[in-house]
Amino acid sequence: MTDLSVASLLFLSATLLAVGLFGILTRRNFILLLIAVEIAMNAAILNFVYFAAFTGTPGGLSGQAIAVVLVGLAATEVAVGLAIVLALNRTRGSINVAEATSLKN
Amino acid sequence: MIVEELAFLALAAIAVGTALAALLVRELVHTILWVSVFFVSLSGLYFLLSAPFLGVLQLGVYAGAVTILLLFGVMVTRKRIFAREAATGIGPFPLALALLAIVVLAVVAASLPQQETVVRAYDVTLLSTTLFNQDGAWLVLLGFVMLSALSGAIYLVREGRE
Repeated sequence: MTDLSVASLLFLSATLLAVGLFGILTRRNFILLLIAVEIAMNAAILNFVYFAAFTGTPGGLSGQAIAVVLVGLAATEVAVGLAIVLALNRTRGSINVAEATSLKN
Repeated sequence: MIVEELAFLALAAIAVGTALAALLVRELVHTILWVSVFFVSLSGLYFLLSAPFLGVLQLGVYAGAVTILLLFGVMVTRKRIFAREAATGIGPFPLALALLAIVVLAVVAASLPQQETVVRAYDVTLLSTTLFNQDGAWLVLLGFVMLSALSGAIYLVREGRE
């Protein structure tokens, strides 16, 4: 049994989301972008786990189950992102997202 | 419980600090090391929130697999592994936006009810029953997503594609 307030944990996950968003907006390296997206996604998963603990048994367990699925989804996303990194590196020799503009215009 | 409050505060501080450090250090390998500490601290939070299965999953999938995948990505895309990033100046606009977001969030969080909530202890067997019976469709869907992601990734990196 643990006593924690709603506000503190929501503030934590919102701060993590802000940090991830900051990384997405400012970084230009594709791998750093992936990491920023992972940080933001972890903030969302943390919300699921928190409200799973907050609500009662049936809904709470569904929350944890969805969190499990989300962890798998995030790992899949990293794998696809790294495939894009490899393709980008081979075709352009750089993983700077500012230079990947061949789909523009 | 004061011990759990303190543990939560420490883990939250570590999480936010390492996330920021991961995005602000100049060397990409250091970024990945910081982000692995971030994943471990989140795993500690899951244990604190009585989700032990998710805590272990976080350690295995994030701190293990995702970290190694990212290191692998750095390894194959660079000639020198420990190379500094070119200086990417943080524009004033994103910084101001982030600060504004933090302030707004703090105000919103302070206005929320400050009631203490009881976190219930869960049985892992109950979670597995939920995961495989009631919410089994999600797992099947995740399997299909992973399969299509696998074939998509292979399509992206296959040889002779111009």
